[in-house]
Amino acid sequence: MFATVPVRSHEQLTRDVWRLTVETPAAGGPGQFYLVRAWGNDPLLSRPLSIHDVGPGTVSFLYQVRGKGTELLTQLAPGDTLTVTGPLGNGFCTEGLHKNIAIVTGGIGVAPALYLVRSLPGCRVTVVAGFRHDVYGLSEFRLLGTDVLVATEDGCEGAKGLCTDIFNPAAFDAVLTCGPTPMMARVARMCGEAGVPCQASLEAHMACGVGACLVCACATLSGNKRVCADGPVFDSTEVIWHA
Amino acid sequence: MLETKLCGVTLKNPVIAASGTFGFGAEYGDFFGVGRLGGICTKGLTLLPRQGNTGLRVWETAAGMMNSVGLQNPGIPTFLERELPRMRTLGTAIIANVGGGDPEEYVEGVRLVSRAEGVDIVELNISCPNVREGGMAFGIKCDVAASVVAAVRRVCSKPLMVKLSPNAEDITAMAIACERAGADAVSLVNTFKALAIDIGARKPIFDNMTAGLSGPCIKPIALRMVWEVARAVHIPVVGIGGITTWQDALEFIMAGATAVQVGTATFVQPTAMQGIVDGLERYCTTEHLTSLSTVCNILGRET
Repeated sequence: MFATVPVRSHEQLTRDVWRLTVETPAAGGPGQFYLVRAWGNDPLLSRPLSIHDVGPGTVSFLYQVRGKGTELLTQLAPGDTLTVTGPLGNGFCTEGLHKNIAIVTGGIGVAPALYLVRSLPGCRVTVVAGFRHDVYGLSEFRLLGTDVLVATEDGCEGAKGLCTDIFNPAAFDAVLTCGPTPMMARVARMCGEAGVPCQASLEAHMACGVGACLVCACATLSGNKRVCADGPVFDSTEVIWHA
Repeated sequence: MLETKLCGVTLKNPVIAASGTFGFGAEYGDFFGVGRLGGICTKGLTLLPRQGNTGLRVWETAAGMMNSVGLQNPGIPTFLERELPRMRTLGTAIIANVGGGDPEEYVEGVRLVSRAEGVDIVELNISCPNVREGGMAFGIKCDVAASVVAAVRRVCSKPLMVKLSPNAEDITAMAIACERAGADAVSLVNTFKALAIDIGARKPIFDNMTAGLSGPCIKPIALRMVWEVARAVHIPVVGIGGITTWQDALEFIMAGATAVQVGTATFVQPTAMQGIVDGLERYCTTEHLTSLSTVCNILGRET
């Protein structure tokens, strides 16, 4: 779907993290994403944002201000419109997941976790979330009864350190992860050593978002894959992490 | 009204998806009826499969973008087997874009592709700036380009369109050289060789150092090149370079282009080409034109 849709709500959660909810008939699965833009031709490309949550007739995004595009997004007020393309890509595979599931996130990689938790109703889910300093995007989990473990690099909340310091893969039947590539590479390695299946949601600079332009290639055991169309979620053992 | 003849092939309209920006067509089927297009240029194909370049492959610039894909493609035999049959169901002209690492690969690739049923035109890519040992190396000097075009011409059983690089030493001389070597049409321009630097890391953004610049920022230069070439050759010219709106497309047609290709604009808006076709139709109606040829090449041959 490619459509111009109105903003339902928009709130600033921390210094640089916002939650944007738009009215759209399309939804999508956890780990899928939309290309969004709220400007003309500058910046040229749309911004890929993963689905944070889905409501009746709405989709919300949790995003961090990184550059010109996300800075422009912060100016949107309820009733303003933006252009969305999606839902795109292959999200997390929730079929066959049961018992104890860990969702390990780093920074804004926490964005897809909420919808993911809602999509795992029969599972006992633990969210292991790491942040540099500000903590965000976790309040709903407490309402949902999801276990939450927090690590911050400056120790301002939860354990001082990285999310991988407080995460033991052996305690889980499957692991789902989203965050900076070095963090996900560590999670993938830990899961590999523990023999626990792991799905990782990769991030990449994108242009088309639909698999046509090949600028978001990632190296896998079966050759280059398109993060936008073959992913963004991959089996972590398929990804060649050092590349 | 918009029906366009290009090297003997009838296109529904003069709006063609540019190579490398539209995959093999089906990727955009969820967004609009791609059968409305005049044609689709395939992702750049080579005889042998290629994995493309390592590192970052895209970088945004003011009113443009740089790419360094490096001709990643499944190879021509796999294209013919898996992608072409699907493309043939899309209901639009199929233009197979062929690149190569050496003259032999070009010749063998074109021979295979041009024999395939369903391929309407072969677009010879001598202008990709992102592969070190090939591509653009053939598109800088006229004599090198002419020898490849002549060699390919002998084995090409379909109309042959040569895609020119704006990085050529002299693009007008290049177009004339390709025409003399047997090209049935020229398309221009491919991306501009460009550079971006990560000042924090004190390194180039791209592993390959340079990359190809496209988008609205190149349009006025591309338009000038199309105008210069259209005055100098007697074969059709297909205009490419930053076309985003129907007005842009019309500028290229007025400068002498028989048809246009649209690339980067599709990334801004997946339905951009549909909008361009609609806009050109409305223009013809408003201006009471039965054909766009009335306004093609209207600047005259004098400077």
